[in-house]
Order: sequence, then structure tokens, then C-alpha cells
Amino acid sequence: MPGPLKNKFMGIAVALALLAYAGTVQAASKPSQPMPEATEDFVEKGRGVYLGRCSFCHGLLGDGEGPAAKYLDPRPRDFTLGTFKFRTTQSGQLPTDADLFRTVSRGLPGTAMQSFDSDLFKNGLSETERWQVIAYIKTFAQEFKDPELDPVKSGKVVTLPSNRPPYTPELVAKGKEAFKKAKCSSCHGMLGRGDGNKEFRKDDWGFPIRIRNVTHPWKIKAGSEVEDIYMRFSTGINGTPMPSFVKSMNEDERWALANYIKSFQYQRTANQVLKAKPHDGGLPDSPEDATWDQAERMDMRLAGQVISAPRWQNPSIELVTVRALFNDTDIAFRIEWDDPFKDTVHKSDKEFKPTAIAKVGAFSSYVEANGMVPRGLETFRDSIALQFPVKQPDGTKKPHFYRGGSSDQVHLWVWKADLDAKGEKATEEGNARGWKQAIKAQAKDAQQITGKAKWDQGRWSVVMKRPLSTPDKNDVQFSKGIFIPMSVNAWDGSNGEHGLIMSLSSWHYVFLEAPTPIGIYIYSVLAFLIIGGLGLWLKRKTEQEETLS
Amino acid sequence: MKTPRIGSFWTAVLTLLIVYGLVKWGIPAVSREVTTLPFPLPVPGTLMFFYMMLTLIALFLMISFSDEALDDFLRPIKKLLRGGYGKAFRAAFLLAVPLLAGWQVYETIVPRAEAPVSLRIQHPSSNFPKSSEALKNPFASPTEAQVAAFIEQAKANEVTFVPQVQEDVDNWMNEADPDHVLELFASAPVKKLLAQIKAGKVEPETAKAALLEKNLFEGRALYAMNCRACHGDSTAGDGPMADGFKLRPINFTDNGTIETIVEGYTFWRVANGGPGLPVEATPWDSAMPEWKLSLTEEERWKIILAEYNLAQKTPRIPESH
Repeated sequence: MPGPLKNKFMGIAVALALLAYAGTVQAASKPSQPMPEATEDFVEKGRGVYLGRCSFCHGLLGDGEGPAAKYLDPRPRDFTLGTFKFRTTQSGQLPTDADLFRTVSRGLPGTAMQSFDSDLFKNGLSETERWQVIAYIKTFAQEFKDPELDPVKSGKVVTLPSNRPPYTPELVAKGKEAFKKAKCSSCHGMLGRGDGNKEFRKDDWGFPIRIRNVTHPWKIKAGSEVEDIYMRFSTGINGTPMPSFVKSMNEDERWALANYIKSFQYQRTANQVLKAKPHDGGLPDSPEDATWDQAERMDMRLAGQVISAPRWQNPSIELVTVRALFNDTDIAFRIEWDDPFKDTVHKSDKEFKPTAIAKVGAFSSYVEANGMVPRGLETFRDSIALQFPVKQPDGTKKPHFYRGGSSDQVHLWVWKADLDAKGEKATEEGNARGWKQAIKAQAKDAQQITGKAKWDQGRWSVVMKRPLSTPDKNDVQFSKGIFIPMSVNAWDGSNGEHGLIMSLSSWHYVFLEAPTPIGIYIYSVLAFLIIGGLGLWLKRKTEQEETLS
Repeated sequence: MKTPRIGSFWTAVLTLLIVYGLVKWGIPAVSREVTTLPFPLPVPGTLMFFYMMLTLIALFLMISFSDEALDDFLRPIKKLLRGGYGKAFRAAFLLAVPLLAGWQVYETIVPRAEAPVSLRIQHPSSNFPKSSEALKNPFASPTEAQVAAFIEQAKANEVTFVPQVQEDVDNWMNEADPDHVLELFASAPVKKLLAQIKAGKVEPETAKAALLEKNLFEGRALYAMNCRACHGDSTAGDGPMADGFKLRPINFTDNGTIETIVEGYTFWRVANGGPGLPVEATPWDSAMPEWKLSLTEEERWKIILAEYNLAQKTPRIPESH
């Protein structure tokens, strides 16, 4: 290749590498400079930003009572109290300006507070706008006006030590000791699933106090990195039972604990297809059977049911893990999800009648987070349902993932914790043709599913089993080698969920593996032989040419 | 300066590699810069095939241009086949190529458990009623009568809001005790209107701009209450519920979404949601609600006004017939 051309190629390669690097640059959650002086004009500009972007949740008075607030849990922060959860200051102190900047820039995962960083979104807020709105937010609480309460001036800032030890198994083991010593499990549970408290506690506003399930990093509000975790138990979380452990643990212990907590974090699978493997012999009935470990897992993401009134945007079950096995006659599914409370009671008379909010022009079609439905123990059952189309799709066409439609019905396998606790048959087969009517239970003699469940340390594990094929025309039938759409509906009783107040997934697939057809091997070998023969022929021909010349 | 020649065989190999790299990684990297989306746009397999075929044809022309060029190209291959690079290397090569071919054939035909791909038309028009094409958002372009009515309300300090916002505005009125309810807005047009009211001479243009401000405020509140959970505060389709849906909520800030359609189309989509889509738009995967079952026309139009505004987009202008 001639020189200049080669240089050109090099240039392009370098440009590409630079582009790829530019794409990975992290958005700045640290300001490039400290907060500018809060002049009257600066604060007034912040008021403009607040009005257009923040007031709908946080309220025009900063009291956390904006029009969208009633429907949210966690509730939007009431700025007038001067209590802020996520800080780098000592327990009970005000946050620094940089803390507020971080929250506005990063948002709080697992809540309605999203990132407002203009480096991440075209219509986000610029650094100056973020500082302006922070200056305005600080006017809501008297505490910010008192110079004695300034955590920076009074030296109440918790700095992150720079000597973070590297992640090692020894450090994690040391962290386990610290976990015991600090009694983390009394709230967060032995396995970190937020199931340590047997009591169902509520805050001063009547909202359930949710103990963080630290195994789900995508919901850890103030960040899931080791540094973030370290900071949380160094500062405590103001306004919640989470204390600061600065006095009871030294730096080394805190680093070790942060690494131990980090080791809990679950890695989700991204597959949309659950491959069920053929299994020799009987299928496991028990959810605890070790055979399940051989089955592939598929994580299904769930969202709150926000498609029709009653809409619900505070679901507690957002991840369900499914496994499947089959043999010559049957198929079995194991469904697992985290739920800190085992709810085995169902009071039908407490169920919500959504008539008022299901009308055109109702104030809102969402269920209020507090007051509309009872949230607490001993009210509603935990429940899960697998959903399949009755008729297998022709091409890509399927029933709607939200309970099908009038012309294409779905088959639901519903498991109910209250029936299970009573020792009754806990699985119910039903059909639905759209969400407007309730699930229609199948006749008693058409109920072929058997189920077994177990709740342990904040996790439900349910097995549902059925013959591969049934004589019932309203049932899904399983055959090998095809993609069968599958989705889930889930209810957490103590979160007030029942009926259409639930979480649900979109369509995924279950695929029963068929043995590889023999023809595939034949074609592969044939390709090998033909190309190999061609190579040998060319070799011989070249050698002959050589002898000729 | 003399540059070393690498021969046309290696030039061909290098060209193929570079073109492959450009299409495979270069285009997605550039797409991130162009779209500013947080993920690269993938290059479809057919497009890759197309580019590689074009490259191959170009290389073939280059190689077969003259006998000398062909000889130059074949020289390393012939040397290899004659054992010029060592007999062991030749044997390995002659074994590796057919193995690779056999493996490729196996990979291509073996059945795979990957989700069936369903192609989806994002803006289907097959069942879009023509009558909706020319619909205009009444709250984006208020009539003279509406502006006049607003001026009267503003003069009497009797401006009211949709009930969803009124309660919070009342709270603010009680606390801040302003002279005029419109002092809520810090923007220039509203300040101008308030000054004109004081002076006793209100220009309709000023009042119209202030009315738009109020409509937008209401629309944003309704958006935050109804749409935010999925489409997000940023309108980038990244609300707290978004990850739960395989077909993600639409990103309004993307250049290919609400900017490419007329307002009437947006209104029709908001009203009829997923179930109102024709088959080619895979209605069974869409979580978009039928908002006509919950929201009034006024609420829907105000939301659409806010949606375009938040996303910093303008709707396509309907073609005149």
C-alpha cells in the first residue's frame, strides 16, 4: 500500500478509537466549579427551572405535595423540613451543595427522581441551571440560612478516604464479620434481601418503610458502587432508621463491609428465551430440589401495571427468575422472586373498586400510594401467574401481553399463597380475553396444574407442573422446537397489590429443546470434505505447474 | 522515502478487514455521536453483506485488471500451496480452511433458541383516519376569542387552572400572597402581560404568549402525572417503568419520533394506544394505553403540547391538499 494511503487508514483508525472512547465518557455528577453566589437574579432563574421541571412532584411550595406526588412511593422530598437522605455529611446534618448537585445530576434509581444531567439528555439541565435550581431549593428550608448549621464550615463533612483496599476474598470474609457485628441482618436480612424485620413498619406519613434489598443494585438510590455503599453507612440516611456506623466501625471495617455488600449484588441475565432442557426421569416437585440448578435461568423484568385504570406505579416485584425442565410427559417451571414479607391471607372485602378513577376525566387514573389501598400485613395474598397464548402464534402475531384480547385469549397459571398456606390446591388455571374482564377460572376437571411453594429469607420459590399436552382446548400445549410466548403477572400482598394493581412483564419465550437433526451434521461434514478436496486439488495443481515450468 | 510494498494479496485482505471494521464498529460509534443516544445503532446483517460484496467486487476488479495484477495477487497463495512457507504450515492451512467451512455451515443451519425477530413499523398509516391528519392542537394556537377571554380573566385576576394543578396553585397563593396569580410564572411574556394589565392596555400577542405559558404548565403537570412513569422526565423513554417493557417507551427526543409526524397523528396514537395499532406495528407488544378511556381531549392536547415542548421538538406540518 502506498504511504499516503496507509497514513490515511491510520488516521481513520485513530479517529474511530477516539470516537469509541468519547462514547464511554461518564456524565459529570461532580460540578466543574462550586456553587456560584446565590444572587436574587440567580435564585429567580432557579425558580423558573423549578416551576417547569420540579414543581409537579415537589410542589410549588417545596413541600413534596405537587400534583404527581400522591401517586408515588417513595414520596417526593419535602424540602421545607431540611432533612436530606443522601449526603456526605455526618448523621443528622444538612447536605453539602455538592451532595444536592449529585442527586439532581444522577437522580435516585428506583424512585421517580431521574437524572437531570444535560450531558445525558438533550433536554436535561445545564450545570448552571442545576446550580440555580439548587439555590432556589435551599430557600425552602430555614436551616440553610443558619451559618452555624453549614456542614462545611462546621467541619461535619465525611470525606471518602483515598485508601480503598482492593477487592479480595479475604476482605469480603472480613466484611462478613463486620456485617454480623453491626447487626445489619436485623433489618436487611442474612442474605441482604431486606427481610430482617418481621414487623411491617410505616413512617410518619403512613408510608411503608422499605428496607433496601441490597442484592438489587439497580434500585440502590444513592449508587451501588463500593464507594457509595461506604458513604451510606458512614453518613446514615436521615429520616430513616438507617444509622451512621462511624462510631462503631473503623475505616477498614467499613471498607470490608462495603465490599461484602457489593458481593451480594445480583447479575441479571438478558435472554428473552428460556431454553427448557429435556430431563431423564421424574421432574422435581420441590422448589428446593437441586435438579433445578441444572436448568437455565431467565430473568424477567416487570413494570407496574400502568396500562389501564387502576394504574399502579409502585410495584414491589420487578424481577422474576424462571427455570423450566421437561420430560416425555410433563413440563415444570420454577418461578422465584424476592418479597420481604410472606403474605398468606386474602380479604376480598378489602379489595379496591376502581370505579371512581376508571372514568374519562377522573382527576387521575393512578392508584394513590397511600390510603386508596391498604398496604400492610394480613390483607392481601402474594401471588404469581404465568401467562401463555392459547393458540400458538402464526408468524409473530400474538395476543396482547396484557391479558390478550377478545379474539385471542390467553391461558393463565395462577398460584395463590393463601390457598397454599391453607393446604388447599394453590394453583388455578384460568383464561382471559383482555383486561376488561376478570380471569375466568377453568372447570374443576380441567385443572391439571400441580404446584409447590416455599418462602425462605425474603424469597418465594414456586414450582408449577403440568402434562405437556392436555385435551382441553383452552389450554396452552407444549411441543418441542417452537417458541412459545410466556409472560408473568405478580402480586405482593403487603404492598397492597391485588387484581389489576400488580406488576407484569412483556412477552418472553419458552423453547423446549429438540435434538439436533442428523442432517445438520451431514451437511457440515460434507462442506468440510468438499473444501478440503478442493484445497488438495489446488495444491496438486500448483505443484504440477511448478514441475512443468 | 521508500515505502515497503505489501503486495496486492495483503492489500486485499487488509481492505476487507478495514471495511468490516468500519461497518461493524465505525458506523455504530459514529451513530452515537450523531443521535446522542446512550447506545449505538446496530448495522443490519444485510447491510454488512452489501458492503462486503461491494468491496469484494471492487477488489476483484483490481486483481483481474491485468495478468500482472492477477499474478501479483496469486503469488503468496501459490507459494503457500507449493510449501514455500513450510510443509507443516501448508498442512495446517489445508486442514484449517475446510474445518472453518464445516463449522460455518453448522453455525448457519443449526436451530437456535433466539427470540424470533419481529419487524415493526413505528408510525403505521394503514388505519390512520385521514380526517385526523389536519387536526391542530387548540392549546398551541388559541383562537382570538380564547385569547380575549383569557385577557378578561387576567384583568380580573381570575385565571383558573385544570383541577390537577389548581390545588397546588391555591396552596402557593395562600403562602406567597402575590398580587396576581400569574406571578407564579417567572417568564418574560407573563411579566410583560402583568405590566400591561397594570398600564391598562393589553396587547393580544402578549396575552397569547402568556396563555401558552399557562397551557404548557398544565400540560407538563399532566405529563408528570400520566406519562412520566414510562416516558420519563427527560421524555427520552426512560421512566422508572421503562425497563419492564421489552418494547421500550418511545424516546421523544430522538429525531425519528414525534418530530416526523403531524400533531393529529400524535393525538390519534395517544387516544388509541397499543390496541389501536394495525398488525404491522405489533400492537401485542405495545404498553401504550388507550388514553381516550382515561383522559379528556383537553388533557390529551395539553399533554401533547408539553410533550413536544419538553422534547424540544416541533410537529411536522400537515401537507395541504
